[in-house]
Amino acid sequence: MEEKKYALKIKDLVVQYKTDDGVVEAVNGIDLMIEQGKTMGLVGETGAGKTTTALSVLRLIPEPPGKIIRGSIELEGKNVFEYSEKEMEKIRGNAVSMIFQDPMTSLNPVMTVGDQIAEVIELHEKVDKKSAMEKAKEMLEMVGIPGNRANEYPHQFSGGMKQRVVIAMALVCNPGFLIADEPTTALDVTIQAQVLDLMAKLRQKYNTSTLMITHDLGIVAEVCDHVAIMYAGNIVESGSLRDIFENTAHPYTEGLFGSLPDIEKRTEKLKPIPGLMPDPTNLPKGCPFHPRCKYCQDICKTRVPVKTSVSDTHAVSCLAYEEGTGVVLGGAK
Amino acid sequence: MSEPLLEVKHLCKYFNTSGGVLHAVDDVSFAIEKGKTLGVVGESGCGKSTTGRAILRLHEPTSGEVLFEGNDITKYSMKQMREMRKDMQIVFQDPFASLNPRKTVSEIIAEPFRLHRTLTNKTEREGRVLELMETVGLAARLVNSYPHELDGGRRQRIGIARALAMNPKFVVCDEPVSALDVSIQAQILNLLKQLQEERGLTYIFITHDLSVVNYFSDEIVVMYLGKIVEYTSAEQLFAHPVHPYTKALLSAIPVPRVDAKKERILLKGEITSPINPKPGCRFAPRCEYAKPECFEKSPELRETEKGHKVSCHFAEQF
Amino acid sequence: MNKNGVGNYKKRGMAKEIMRRLMKNKMAVAGLVIITILILLAVFADVFIDYEKDVVAQDIPNRLQGPSAEHWCGTDEFGRDIFARLVYGSRVSLLVGVVAVVVALLIGGILGAVAGYYEGVLDNVIMRVMDIFLAVPSILMAITIVAAFGTNLIYVMIAIGISGVPGFARIVRAAVLSVKDQEFVESSKAIGAANITVIFREIIPNCMAPIIVQATLGVAGSILSTASLSFIGLGVQPPSPEWGAMLSGGRNYLRDATHLTLFPGLAIVITVLALNLLGDGLRDALDPRLKQ
Repeated sequence: MEEKKYALKIKDLVVQYKTDDGVVEAVNGIDLMIEQGKTMGLVGETGAGKTTTALSVLRLIPEPPGKIIRGSIELEGKNVFEYSEKEMEKIRGNAVSMIFQDPMTSLNPVMTVGDQIAEVIELHEKVDKKSAMEKAKEMLEMVGIPGNRANEYPHQFSGGMKQRVVIAMALVCNPGFLIADEPTTALDVTIQAQVLDLMAKLRQKYNTSTLMITHDLGIVAEVCDHVAIMYAGNIVESGSLRDIFENTAHPYTEGLFGSLPDIEKRTEKLKPIPGLMPDPTNLPKGCPFHPRCKYCQDICKTRVPVKTSVSDTHAVSCLAYEEGTGVVLGGAK
Repeated sequence: MSEPLLEVKHLCKYFNTSGGVLHAVDDVSFAIEKGKTLGVVGESGCGKSTTGRAILRLHEPTSGEVLFEGNDITKYSMKQMREMRKDMQIVFQDPFASLNPRKTVSEIIAEPFRLHRTLTNKTEREGRVLELMETVGLAARLVNSYPHELDGGRRQRIGIARALAMNPKFVVCDEPVSALDVSIQAQILNLLKQLQEERGLTYIFITHDLSVVNYFSDEIVVMYLGKIVEYTSAEQLFAHPVHPYTKALLSAIPVPRVDAKKERILLKGEITSPINPKPGCRFAPRCEYAKPECFEKSPELRETEKGHKVSCHFAEQF
Repeated sequence: MNKNGVGNYKKRGMAKEIMRRLMKNKMAVAGLVIITILILLAVFADVFIDYEKDVVAQDIPNRLQGPSAEHWCGTDEFGRDIFARLVYGSRVSLLVGVVAVVVALLIGGILGAVAGYYEGVLDNVIMRVMDIFLAVPSILMAITIVAAFGTNLIYVMIAIGISGVPGFARIVRAAVLSVKDQEFVESSKAIGAANITVIFREIIPNCMAPIIVQATLGVAGSILSTASLSFIGLGVQPPSPEWGAMLSGGRNYLRDATHLTLFPGLAIVITVLALNLLGDGLRDALDPRLKQ
């Protein structure tokens, strides 16, 4: 079999924040691998550690209060923790870029959008101002904004247009790897459809590997090849799209699907996950999901589950899949 | 057909802005029967929230009637209106902004009793607060907490408890779950549904999320730039959408299922805002079927088949 | 305790809770202690100081003496004990400072809240009148009021208070504007609150921070304004002691007898500092979001 090439390899990453209320265990030893040219969906709720993971890749965790305790992140074969801050600046926006959730705040309100895109080009490529501006205009055309609007300011654009500008900025240096942090959450559905469509086209064109952070399983089904489900700083389940959606293994993932109103079966009652996300300064012992899990057994309260393979592509962290634990799914109390 | 609990007739709400008159809600009419839910769907700026607030007179309607149990409440004095608020309540979108940060949970929930001078006995009042907290699934130990100490789901439960305090008949739910996480969202939706069944509540459910509105509503109104474009039962709307905007909206929802790839209608252009709107269909600039006529004459909302109203000149052709 | 269990979660009284939080703040406690001492001194001045002998009676041979065991803060140009005069002076200064701020806060606060809440024409009228007040130098306005009504201490306090009105009106209006569009205000209207309830129970408590800062600064300003009035003969009449008057009276001797200005100055500084510390502590104690 041909050796797979990975755009991103995260190994045993642990990130914590020190706050007045205690140590926030944001990311607790996650492994994540994204194949070249593929899109990985990172799904989880508020406080699951999705954004912290993404910022770690770019080494943008504010220190203090944040601290990367251990782990390695390999971007195209090189560990990002070995780069100097200077080298890192070259990499950001060039080899890897990020699209943030809120297009309203990720653009500078006092610079024209053309200048903002051109600035990225000038930072990373040896070109003069004029050709940078030319390229910026081309880039705008590509995301569906007339080039002559390059001289306008962000407030003259609508939300969807601004997100297109942000995408143009992220893609202008042909990054090999793109991190999109909830890129459409702030947008309306019809605009979201346009933006997702655009991103898919550009991804195909440039063969960009993508880490797509979202809480919307619908978007995942539409754009991702692989999925990792995050809960309380851990990846509880990961696999191909089909693994996760059709052979759901982890009770949390099952709960997420049960929480979604099905547009085709409208009378079906929702089956929400009871309880709340755990306090990240005081995570439960054993399996972090056990207080909310309907299959919870005594052993789940003390033993931490390890990553177990269900198939070649599908892995899950749940004691029910480890041998000799006696935990059985499906037999709900 | 039984008498509707609430009927809205030709409701308009205009705002004066520096750019001109914003027609946020323009000639909107609908009716809700007792114990039913009307879903109001649309994207940002379509006037759905303004409609909800105009019905409760939190925004004074520019014109039109709001008949609650047959009486036009837009004619009520401020004093009468305050009395009406016992029956007509609202649950807000943002559980972080809709609770006064300086009050404790019990103070917030007990506020309606204080305002309406009921339950003046302290013990009785505290008992009722605890009862309400239990109804919405809040632990009694949270009674003296402040909102900032709680997460979004619990805050939203406080908002619901407060809305229920005076036993209202009618509740406007203004995007009550869109600020919440998926697993919490389902908890709150189930709670709202359970409360409706137990208390026979009548809801207007305002949201931008079509799968939520489908789960929740009996009838659905689809709005675009201040106008109703389609108004029919939930089953009918999802099975046979007629208006091109409704179709595009439905096709744009990402479905959480592998192989759910369906024909997506991508709308061109952006949502504008209805400032000094010109005559003609407001959706025409983005509509792929638009004909010259659409830019000249405003379509009326008319019944194309029984119980299915559409606002499009060419509804029959779709 | 009652049957249905509220008793288990019995709330500490609001005042008690605020006090508890205030006590955690060391700087605020320091401020509170200083203010308490000042007030106690002012109230019980008669016990250890003979007004006629120490404060009023002149003792020319002992004039302009530096601090000593007998005269802790030295003597002034008429040989009167400065410490005794400071203690008696605090009665006037503290009273004027506090009353003037209360007057300014009540009038300015209500006008500002009404202007900010209702906006439109009412806002325009109120704020333009405030602008006119602001355009007249406050001391000139105070002079006019005192000249018209007489140099009674009450009129002095009212005059100084009124000159502080526009400042409060502007600050309260700005704070109200920033709070009034929040959803909890609308939520309060939705459960049937009348405008007046909304303003006083929902909006004002969320505007406390800038109001408290302005009020503590206002006390200092009022003490100094009283001094200016006294200086031109419209404030407190000699030989009654008053901090501002003492300060300005001592300025002729600034070179030879610094203590004449030093001690009244220190008294004002300490009072203002203590008020600021207390004010900051109070602002934090009143905000449940800052609770640990």
